[in-house]
Amino acid sequence: MSLVRAACAAALLVAGIDEAALATTQNVIFNGTIAPTCTLVVATNGTMTASPDLQSLSSHNGGGSAGTVTLTTTGGVSLSVDPVTTMTVPSADSTSTTWTPTYSAAGAHAIGETGSATSITTPGADLVSVHLAGTKGGSNRFANGNYQATVTLRCE
Amino acid sequence: MKHARILATALAVGLAPIAAKAQSMSPMRGEINSFTDVFAVRVFPANPYDRKIRVEIHVYDQDFQPVDARVSPNVFQLASQASRSVLVVVPFDGAAERKVRICTESIPFPNQQTQIRAQICGKFFGRRKS
Repeated sequence: MSLVRAACAAALLVAGIDEAALATTQNVIFNGTIAPTCTLVVATNGTMTASPDLQSLSSHNGGGSAGTVTLTTTGGVSLSVDPVTTMTVPSADSTSTTWTPTYSAAGAHAIGETGSATSITTPGADLVSVHLAGTKGGSNRFANGNYQATVTLRCE
Repeated sequence: MKHARILATALAVGLAPIAAKAQSMSPMRGEINSFTDVFAVRVFPANPYDRKIRVEIHVYDQDFQPVDARVSPNVFQLASQASRSVLVVVPFDGAAERKVRICTESIPFPNQQTQIRAQICGKFFGRRKS
């Protein structure tokens, strides 16, 4: 019985080898096109603190922190921040403030702190730090209360 | 025929994760020819976060001025890791061609002192054919 089994197995093996030897090969071609893409994932919002002379409210000041965003891109895109247009200030603050958003990036692309648009040509992932600084001139000072701003980080 | 089926299945399996998870909006570039007074673009915003976010779609011209386009839907909630299609219909307003930006915007962590609005903009060029 075991002899019959062995013979059958051998016959199947030979038949398989025969089949493989006769088989032809075909190339299957895969094409793929990736258009410029970009993903922004906000990790943390920022915090602004006042300077000792109360003329600066900034994420750069001691105790302040930048907002962080993860950028992943194929390249062929541009990164920028918009001027701050909407700001909530306490009612006691009636004087004008100049708001300056900036960003920097570390990772696949090293971008020094800037407020201008940056062209990203190569693929990779970065951690983008977003800062916001408000300054008052002359004798004006930041007031007691809550300030809130929204910085738009754009990838296009 | 069999090879075609295998190829189609492989492409579908291979490309599906890219479309579903790896982008905040796709496509980000496009040229559209239209024989009418408007041109239409279908974009797919995606939510890369592990929780639901509110998404807004805005259409701007080259100077970032709002364009009176029809966006459906223009505001919606998007589940974690999900994407959905949005139809944008842009009028030519009498011009032979028009360049617009279609932007996906979201503020994933609202009510903070310094909020960050993430904005992904695609550039689209519509050309009117007569």
